Amino acid sequence: MTEQNAVSLSFDGGTLVLRGAGAGRREPRGEERGTTDASVVPHPSSIGAGWQWDDRIGAWRCEAMAYGRVVEVLRGRFGAAMRDEVPTPQRVAWPSVNLPALRAEQVAALDAWEQAGRRGQVIMPTGTGKTEVALAAMQRTGVATLVVAPVRDLMYQWHRRILRSLGCDAGIVGDNLFDIKAVTVTTYDSAYIHMGRMGAGFGLLIFDEEHHLPSRCRREAAILSTATMRLGLTATPERADGLHKDLDYLLGPVVYRMPFKQARGSTLADFEVVRIPVALNDPEQATYDQCSRVIRHFIAQRRKDQPGYTWQDLCAESGRDPQARHAQKAYYLKRSIEDRAAEKLRVLEDIFRLHYGQPTLVFAGSNAMAIDVSRRFLLPTILSHTRKRERLAVLEGFAEGRLPVLVANRVLDEGVDVPEAKVAVVIGGLGSTRQAKQRLGRVLRKSGNVRAVLYEVVCEDTKEVHRSRKRRRSDAYERTRHRRV
Amino acid sequence: MLTSEHAIVEFRAGRAVVDCLTRKTHGHYTGYAERMLAVYRQGIGRERRWLHQRVEEVFTDEPDCPARRVQAFCKLLDDAAVFAADAGGEAARLRVNVFSRAAAMHPLVEQPDRLFENDPARVKALIAAEYGVDWNDIDRRLYADVMSFQPLEAFADDLDAGAFLSHYNVAQLQACLYRAQSMSITATGDLKTILRYAKLARLMHEIVRLGPSRYRIELSGPASVLRETRRYGVNLARFLPALLACKGWRMTAVLRTPWDATAVLTVSDTDGYSSHLADPRPFDSSLEEAFAEKFGAMREGWRMIREGDILHEHQTTFVPDFTFRHEDGTEVFLEIVGFWTPEYLAKRREILGRFRRRRILLAVPQRSLREGVVPGENVVVFKTSLTIKPVLAALEAVRLGPRVPEP
Repeated sequence: MTEQNAVSLSFDGGTLVLRGAGAGRREPRGEERGTTDASVVPHPSSIGAGWQWDDRIGAWRCEAMAYGRVVEVLRGRFGAAMRDEVPTPQRVAWPSVNLPALRAEQVAALDAWEQAGRRGQVIMPTGTGKTEVALAAMQRTGVATLVVAPVRDLMYQWHRRILRSLGCDAGIVGDNLFDIKAVTVTTYDSAYIHMGRMGAGFGLLIFDEEHHLPSRCRREAAILSTATMRLGLTATPERADGLHKDLDYLLGPVVYRMPFKQARGSTLADFEVVRIPVALNDPEQATYDQCSRVIRHFIAQRRKDQPGYTWQDLCAESGRDPQARHAQKAYYLKRSIEDRAAEKLRVLEDIFRLHYGQPTLVFAGSNAMAIDVSRRFLLPTILSHTRKRERLAVLEGFAEGRLPVLVANRVLDEGVDVPEAKVAVVIGGLGSTRQAKQRLGRVLRKSGNVRAVLYEVVCEDTKEVHRSRKRRRSDAYERTRHRRV
Repeated sequence: MLTSEHAIVEFRAGRAVVDCLTRKTHGHYTGYAERMLAVYRQGIGRERRWLHQRVEEVFTDEPDCPARRVQAFCKLLDDAAVFAADAGGEAARLRVNVFSRAAAMHPLVEQPDRLFENDPARVKALIAAEYGVDWNDIDRRLYADVMSFQPLEAFADDLDAGAFLSHYNVAQLQACLYRAQSMSITATGDLKTILRYAKLARLMHEIVRLGPSRYRIELSGPASVLRETRRYGVNLARFLPALLACKGWRMTAVLRTPWDATAVLTVSDTDGYSSHLADPRPFDSSLEEAFAEKFGAMREGWRMIREGDILHEHQTTFVPDFTFRHEDGTEVFLEIVGFWTPEYLAKRREILGRFRRRRILLAVPQRSLREGVVPGENVVVFKTSLTIKPVLAALEAVRLGPRVPEP
């Protein structure tokens, strides 16, 4: 039959399927698969790109990500006899382009990306206009584009930016929506789930905060797509697990990197870090000490028999031993007391008095603390479950100065545009470098010559002090003036 | 369903041991289950966090209870409950409104002075007066949409302790399968059902015949042939309840452990898991029984084999109800079709087209045929029960008809 003899390439669930190019030998599972039957030529496995024989469908299969290379090689080998059934990404004509003139470093980043064949990563500190670089890249390529953002509010923010700058009402995949258009915004989690279905529709992929991509599951969003053009953006590519090395093969190499120091003072405002230690009040301190005693006592008891007994052992034991569980709970209660210390609310009052009239951001370590602050001062919050409408109302109210303060949990850590905040207060949180950098990025946005202030409110004589020290080790804090109140 | 954060599984020497509460190992859990159900039944109007705290308290003195197990119980109880979720966004509107009013009086200070004179109590009283309600009422509604503050509205009243624990065991098995890369099932019965549900869960299959009425079915997804991926773990988990409702199978799943090694999970129909699906057996099985009994093992040179063989052509499978083998070697398959619409007919034709090198007969009830439809070749139409005579005639017609090329 002629149908069987025609060579055809198609997209199937995030992979490419090649039919009519000869058959592989059936192999028992678990052993080496897909070795070729030498009597049939030519063989896809000799073409490279990781073709594997799939006996379930009687065809060759490879990753969708290899599409660009695969088509080139197959065209060279089979010429017009090869039928490419993979959908061609739509061309996009932007209804109304309204992009600001790019600054020198933004132009340099964009040029570097274009010269690298429209593949690769751009690393720029927060607040230096990564989004504008990406929008300019979209405008230049004019092809169906998928933008992947870490969380829902960033996804909506991209939607707004695309509408404002390129006049295009992008589709949304995520937040219980599944609306694919030529230009679509989504989140990493939704991209992972749906890429098997939508992986053939886009010519350009943009991964905002690309350091989220290399994790074992989320990376599949890049692997399952046929897009030949890829752009990754971040201020902080490094991952503690070292997987950021894989970004090179998922997106392309780093094509442009702007050091943080260069950004400071020029694009960003100078800033000051002020640490304010607070003490626990008497009832808090009493519970805190009681918890400490419970934990110390339990561990001391255990160490009598097992000298090397650690916290990990305790956690492992908590499922079998009510005492261990009790100690574990005591530990979490301690953390919660540090996080929600009443004194922090009093210090916040002082800061609000001092910076009256200046837009202020408050970062809490937990939803519970954010809500505590909100209830005490009647201030709006942005939490992970805040819906789109309220989020917009709050961000707009804050931007226009109608709302004096915005309280957030960790949601605002990355990339959410918060205009012109001059004061930030960190009243809890983890000690990771990335969080510190991103948080600083919020305060550092340049507007006028007002010096920004970052307050860290930490409980004295508790674990929080160590976390604060760790935070300050980040290179983002270099050359800042540290003050103790 | 649980999430992977609720999964309790131990990996020992390459094997996965999933948390399972049986009467033998955890007999006393029936009492706990009753107490937990009572917390929810008597907790209508209570906030979610209050319910979770009470459930946690049930296990205060229980030596054998990991925190994850309690969280999993809470999740399953929540799944069986209805909470006031504030779908209309009333709390959000209230917040925007209250905070906008308060903005003009910022900051609210505990010690008012000449510069800042607004203390929280006064401002709250002012705002409450504008709404014409008590502040406590506003305060209660202000964050009512936050998960942990949502009040319980209703709870399933048909759930008993035994069913709840059995539900938990299945849910743990499912949560464990999120780590699965592939699944292999050795089946002797209910093959049709297994394949039908695998397809519904968007899985790909590979079938190997191991012996008479004994098959190995491998389940995975498109990308599985290229790399090890947990991508289809959710599909495998979704498929599991259907498998548990079947009989005569043994399943082995390959899991990826948190340390990036592989481990094997083995479950069979004798492990005592019970599924919540209705019995998937087709309604017309009695029809097949009756016909098989009437026909006997051998008749006029034809030997009858029940569900003798599965025909498969890549991802298309065909499980005939009967295989007939004539003494001269001719083999004919028969499928009894329960209902028949033009669309179903077209789909069936397409499938049979892929098996055109096989001889297949369809038996179709008269009542399913629409007015004016002409049944094609190889179709036996019957009224209420399938009789021997027309089937034998059709078998002979196939045997003596034009030869088809051997497969």
